[in-house]
Amino acid sequence: MNISGYTGALLRIDLSRRQARREPWDLGLAERFVGGRGLASYLLYREQDPAADALGAESKFILGTGPLTGTGAVAASRYVVVCKAPLTGTIACSNSGGFFGPELKFAGYDFAIFEGRSETPVYVWIDDGRVEFRSAEKLWGLTPAATDEQVRRETSLMAKVACIGPGGEKRSLLAGVVNDRARLAARSGVGAVLGSKNLKAVAVRGAGSVCLADPEAFWLAALDALKKIVNDPVSFGSFRAYGTASLVNLINEMGAYPTRNFLEEVFAGAMPTSGEAIRDELLLRNRACFACPIACTRVTAVKDGPYQGRGEGPEYETTWSFGALCGVSDLKAIAKAHYLCCDYGLDAMSAGATVACAMELFEKGYVPGSDIGFALRFGDAEAMVAAVRLMGERRGPFGALLADGSYRLAAHYGHPELFMGVKKLEMAAYSPRVFQGMALHYATSNRGACHVRGNTVAAELYGIPKYVPPETLDGKEEMVRRPFQNSTAFVDSTGICLFSKFAITHREIVSMLAPATGLDFTFDKSIVQGDRIWNLERLFNLRAGFAAADDTLPERMLEPVPGGPRAGSRAQLHQNLQTYYALRGWDERGVPTRQKLEELGLEDTWQVCR
Amino acid sequence: MEVTVRLFASLRRHRPDLALGQPLTCQLPERATLADLIQAVLGPLPDEVAIMLVNGQLQAGEQVLSEGDRVSLWPPVAGGAL
Ligand code: SF4
Repeated sequence: MNISGYTGALLRIDLSRRQARREPWDLGLAERFVGGRGLASYLLYREQDPAADALGAESKFILGTGPLTGTGAVAASRYVVVCKAPLTGTIACSNSGGFFGPELKFAGYDFAIFEGRSETPVYVWIDDGRVEFRSAEKLWGLTPAATDEQVRRETSLMAKVACIGPGGEKRSLLAGVVNDRARLAARSGVGAVLGSKNLKAVAVRGAGSVCLADPEAFWLAALDALKKIVNDPVSFGSFRAYGTASLVNLINEMGAYPTRNFLEEVFAGAMPTSGEAIRDELLLRNRACFACPIACTRVTAVKDGPYQGRGEGPEYETTWSFGALCGVSDLKAIAKAHYLCCDYGLDAMSAGATVACAMELFEKGYVPGSDIGFALRFGDAEAMVAAVRLMGERRGPFGALLADGSYRLAAHYGHPELFMGVKKLEMAAYSPRVFQGMALHYATSNRGACHVRGNTVAAELYGIPKYVPPETLDGKEEMVRRPFQNSTAFVDSTGICLFSKFAITHREIVSMLAPATGLDFTFDKSIVQGDRIWNLERLFNLRAGFAAADDTLPERMLEPVPGGPRAGSRAQLHQNLQTYYALRGWDERGVPTRQKLEELGLEDTWQVCR
Repeated sequence: MEVTVRLFASLRRHRPDLALGQPLTCQLPERATLADLIQAVLGPLPDEVAIMLVNGQLQAGEQVLSEGDRVSLWPPVAGGAL
């Protein structure tokens, strides 16, 4: 059988024995789990006990691509990092663009599964069919950008590199995987898994390309998607001009911009930290991922002063996490904190949220100043940057606490109620007290309070696919479930960047998938595939020990907003959680019913792990 | 009546004289709508305006304005994911 879209092979890398072998994978799985997030999650579920220690030698981590990754389809740049999340204990699937994912496909692999643990620091060099294990002793301690440069010098200047920074080496639970110097598969602490395996980097070079089953039909569909994207005012307008940070003033003006560790929802100092200010003051140029005309990435620099630096970002989430959430309105300090996180290889969203939590702990007198070494107050830009350095270097006991995220920090000082997240993952910059869809989504998302797996703000503010007021509860359960959570699970599995979805739908995506792979991908099936993937992740979490009690929000989100245009609004989660479970085909404990598992063909999967 | 309006993102290019976030004060007849205000400030360009807040609440063009209203306008913008 001719294999198209996929390479049909995975690379299994045993770090303990320093052995690598190429294996075919069962293509029958493609129509069930698509690829990327879905298929990598299935492989993990099949191969690893969800209850095992995320940082133990027996844990695995998987780099995965989708069937469209590297085909040239618009924005098909993504790869995923799937493993058990050290930060949360849930399944982790962080994804990133750039060029690394397509290169893995060009080398002939849809997935690379890493197992075991190297005795000494190592990096893996995948040069088409050849795999080498090389010493990373000299790379240990280097930033991702320096690692990238050195590894490419030692292997091939054409190689694409994914690696960890000092944060991952130190197994900090906020560490991500960094590819192409500055792009992060950021969330859930996936970088700590590489650190625990002594794996500093993976370099890959491929001379192949992705076969297409019906090139003519594929390119016609890809061209149609491209046209829709370049004619879309968001994808080709605001994303290019302002990145995602054009939202800062909007969400702040509507009173849904979490401020000072979610104590308030309006930040008086937002304007100088907004997308408009970033464009006016820091932007050098845009940068694009593989085959992406959107080019939303923003190369920026702080040219002088104490916060001098250069990098990519900040974007909406990080200008918020180091800005409003810490009460800081100094854009240069925010950019510096963002650059530092990239140098340490840390998730800048959770990093900022953890500093904000530390600020509240300090201001309330729960953390003695002597633990920190300086006063850490809301609004103090210098202290915010100093805290990020402590965290990145894991300096002293307080630095170590910061580096493992705000849940453990708040719990350590006896005030878990000051952790603003779900399942140990920090929330994003859309208040669940205002956006009721986000309240339900944060509570139920399979990787904790993450915004990108069901960003209902698209409907509750921009009116995509259709406007539903943020405060209404009616119908939110179905909206969260299907057009957001399930849809995202499908798109993340194809290799296409979610940002394309403001201009194209599943219809355009399946009309590229079918001719790329020669498989019978259809719109109707994509709906079921998304549902199946979501349920598979849920099964992993249930097996890992999560229960309905974990589908909740911080107490503060259930209290009214204290002021601003949304004063009095609060998350009303408990009214719709059971309806959501029922719509999902889950029982009142949030466990998929036998009937639901049969409908999705997951009953065997559940049994395997029972 | 007097209302203030602020332009964000690419709408700023219509009034390059205004600093970021600087409000423009407009005199409008009583019972003027949001659409009337946009017409007065931006001319015949309403297609470009996608998101309209009046005192922090999302409103549509037919919304009747009141003395002292704070209006903020955006072109289509987005973030996060979909
Ligand atoms: S939209 Fe942005 S993040 Fe997504 S592929 Fe394009 S440049 Fe990369």
